[in-house]
Amino acid sequence: MSERLEKLFCPDSVAVVGASNGFDKLGYHVMKSLIQGKYGGEIFPVNPKGEIVWGLHSYPSLRDIRGTIDLAVIVVPASLVPQVLHECGQKMVKGVVLITAGFREIEDQKGGVLETEIRNIADQYALPILGPNTFGFVNPTFEINASFTSELSLLEKGGVALVSQSGGIAHLCGFLATEQRIGFSKLIGLGNRCNVDFAEVLGYLVERDKATKVIALYLEGLDRPREMVEAAKSLRGTKPIIAYKAGKGEKSDSASRFHTGSLAGNYRIWRGAFRQAGILEVSSIEELLDTAKVLDSCPPPGGPRIAVLSSQAGPGMVASDAIEKSGLKLSHFTARTQDRINSLLPPIAMRTNPVDMGPAWYSPQDILDLFEAVLEDEGTDGIIFMAMYASANENLANEIAQYVKRVDFLGKPVVACLSAPREIWNDAITGIDKRKGFAVLPTPERSVVAMGNLWRVKLIVDNGG
Amino acid sequence: MDRLLLGIDALAFLEEEGLPVLESSLAKHVDAAVSIASRMRFPVALKISSPNVVHKTEFGGIRLPLHSESEVREAFHELADTFLSSNPQANLEGVIVQKLGKGFELIVGTMKDEQFGPVLMVGSGGIFVEAINDTSFRLIPIEGTDAREMIEELRGCKVLKNQRTMTVDLATIESFLLQTSTLAESHPEIHEMDLNPVFVSADGIAVCDARIRMG
Repeated sequence: MSERLEKLFCPDSVAVVGASNGFDKLGYHVMKSLIQGKYGGEIFPVNPKGEIVWGLHSYPSLRDIRGTIDLAVIVVPASLVPQVLHECGQKMVKGVVLITAGFREIEDQKGGVLETEIRNIADQYALPILGPNTFGFVNPTFEINASFTSELSLLEKGGVALVSQSGGIAHLCGFLATEQRIGFSKLIGLGNRCNVDFAEVLGYLVERDKATKVIALYLEGLDRPREMVEAAKSLRGTKPIIAYKAGKGEKSDSASRFHTGSLAGNYRIWRGAFRQAGILEVSSIEELLDTAKVLDSCPPPGGPRIAVLSSQAGPGMVASDAIEKSGLKLSHFTARTQDRINSLLPPIAMRTNPVDMGPAWYSPQDILDLFEAVLEDEGTDGIIFMAMYASANENLANEIAQYVKRVDFLGKPVVACLSAPREIWNDAITGIDKRKGFAVLPTPERSVVAMGNLWRVKLIVDNGG
Repeated sequence: MDRLLLGIDALAFLEEEGLPVLESSLAKHVDAAVSIASRMRFPVALKISSPNVVHKTEFGGIRLPLHSESEVREAFHELADTFLSSNPQANLEGVIVQKLGKGFELIVGTMKDEQFGPVLMVGSGGIFVEAINDTSFRLIPIEGTDAREMIEELRGCKVLKNQRTMTVDLATIESFLLQTSTLAESHPEIHEMDLNPVFVSADGIAVCDARIRMG
């Protein structure tokens, strides 16, 4: 089933139905995304006026295009969509992104009727439709931005596929990800999920999309949640799936005279279903992105025993407090490791876990030696590494970046919290983040929560392998 | 048409399906209650049995623990009097004599959700069940690991695991949840089911009372 999405997400040619030169038309912005996003395939603007659109010859209709069309991005008014879909079917288009809104999401019942009509047309031609009412998708791996926001072409390439029921959340995640250097394999807006739903997309991302290492879902509510749960369950143990569910209002059946009925809020069932499906549920958008980043960048920890290394005592304490809440444990160093640490740090600082590396402030090499000692510790499964900028340790991040360049891929996950004034340490952090098993996150707590999730995903994968 | 199975009928149905239930028997008159109770061995509980009484506790339709024949005799009369004075027209089927349940109280239930279909619940039981809402849900059917995770999600699980307060074999609860899941799966006519309370102790697990809506 999922192979039919191949040419939708990786098309060799794209027609934009409703392409336009007018800034106030979405067809303008879709053209901008394709062209400025440096899409390498053929682009066919379709516009009834037959003028030059974005410098390209346009066609009055799909029928007038010679050659095959893999993907049609449709941005015409809702009432014209059925006709365009028939043309897509006749033209053997392989997939559709239907950006047009005005279907079942609107109050007017006509929207729902129209959506049923387009679903029937799509069935007739076995045509997969992303949407309607979607912003589109971005596939950085294949270098196509088939959305109405050209700036989403700035997404870094990486292993995270984000599938969102909301275009707004996809934009939010896309922009946050750019700030946080998170790399995407796909950013997909499902919209109304006319005939392409979470279940099918999950299958595609796990089975067909080599670039995707981790799948992050944003969902609100589904008509047939069991399909999604079954799909995730059958894929359990392959690629990690994490999810954020909005719409947690506990509307239970208070009319039920049964306890079970009155205790069962929809979200409570969702929580159970996620667990059953082997999907890790997270509780904020931040956590969704942080966890996706760490899963994409770090190896799984062999256990829950975590060492906290901090150049300043305070962040170390904050991280330590968060450790237990996140289902992790502070590791106990072996005698050998403790000796190495003691030889590098005078007894004025905390030398057991958490380690206060403060006295080594002026010596990046000592800090790296401490790091290596703990990395090699047999009682430690992962490291939270923290350094806040101070004028006196300006060179630290650069030294770490050099170290990262030198070493082989780490066998243990390291989540690093490196904070500095704007513009300082930027290049160094870029040289550390997502490399060799390192991932950089903004705060001690977020680093620990993400590490905890990395461990939980390991447990899920092991249980369902 | 919806059909509601309560009390002794619900327990009989569950027992037939292989679920462990507390030994229970319907007594139509006081002498029968006394002889059933002595055969079961004390302590026992007496409960009103009538289609007019769905919530027996709220109605005051339960007497326990009863340790002797005379206590059973007295309790039987009290229950019958209370019932007939407030429901002169209603039908008293009799009084259920039941082996006294002991241990930790769980609630186990199934329901059909509009979107998810059949769903299984386990929760900490007792009188605060609605107030605490210490529950865990899964889609039916469940597997062994689901059953284990459901139990571990309960805050009440800490009590179950506390060796000082009790020694409950969690595997007993797991297999009970699996049985309930299978029961609901093999009887699609069951719309809703409350097994409440279910007693779990070192001696095992048993359903004390149940309500089942079929259609």
